[in-house]
Amino acid sequence: MAVFRWGQPWDPFRDLEREVDRLLASVSLSMQGLRFGRQFPPVNLYALDNELLLTAELPGVRPEDLEVTVADGVLTIKGKRLGPEGVPDERYRRQERARGTWQRSFSLPERVEEDRLSAEMANGILTIRLPRAPTPQPRQIKVADGNA
Amino acid sequence: MTDEQPLAAMPGPAAEASKAEPQIVFTPPIDIFETEDGLVLLADLPGVSADTLELQVQDNKLTLFGKVRPPVGDDARLLHQEYRVGHFLRSFILSDEVDHERITAKLNHGVLEVTLPRVKRSEPRRIHVSSPG
Repeated sequence: MAVFRWGQPWDPFRDLEREVDRLLASVSLSMQGLRFGRQFPPVNLYALDNELLLTAELPGVRPEDLEVTVADGVLTIKGKRLGPEGVPDERYRRQERARGTWQRSFSLPERVEEDRLSAEMANGILTIRLPRAPTPQPRQIKVADGNA
Repeated sequence: MTDEQPLAAMPGPAAEASKAEPQIVFTPPIDIFETEDGLVLLADLPGVSADTLELQVQDNKLTLFGKVRPPVGDDARLLHQEYRVGHFLRSFILSDEVDHERITAKLNHGVLEVTLPRVKRSEPRRIHVSSPG
């Protein structure tokens, strides 16, 4: 039996395209170091039995420079990555690492317990744990007899 | 006392590893900048810890190899993927200007920082020339 869903189901690629457009429009100017046409940070999303796991490659980002928020099924991560202080451009012999401020949002594919979300940074990898919300049980609704 | 090319990056092999360990190897992005005392190299190595990083100087070649463990077990199902998990490998040719003995390195939040001090030049020394008689 097909289950009717309100709105669109999770479609990462559509979300990605939308994100790319938005990033190009708003943030790209501040991310001059990102010349690979790749989104920053790249993320993976895994499904485990009782939680979803989002990982992001964020080398050099300190936890205090990172903000993770969730509201209404949309997870947002934003932050900044700075270069070494006091090093003028002419001192660089090679510059390949991305820097600047960035922000990304993801609509979550299913309901999660937003109060129980947790995030940690280790070795430049951000890991966000999203506990899956229990599937709501179907509830019987009594239909009153309007003729009574 | 400037050296135009003290460090020449060589592209690391980006090939599939052996079948026993089905991991890929990436060339990490780097920055190199000059300081008063020499050069500093920064490399992005997300997922690499001090335990899983090998940094080696042999002859005039500096090689970094960082191993990355998968973040989840095999039971996890991948719903969406933007990056692949793999190891990091890159080599550099060091010039004679770099004092190999004094190279130091540290790892901060997945970024390797290698300090490559310039060889100290001794002060010019006056040599007394004695004349016979």
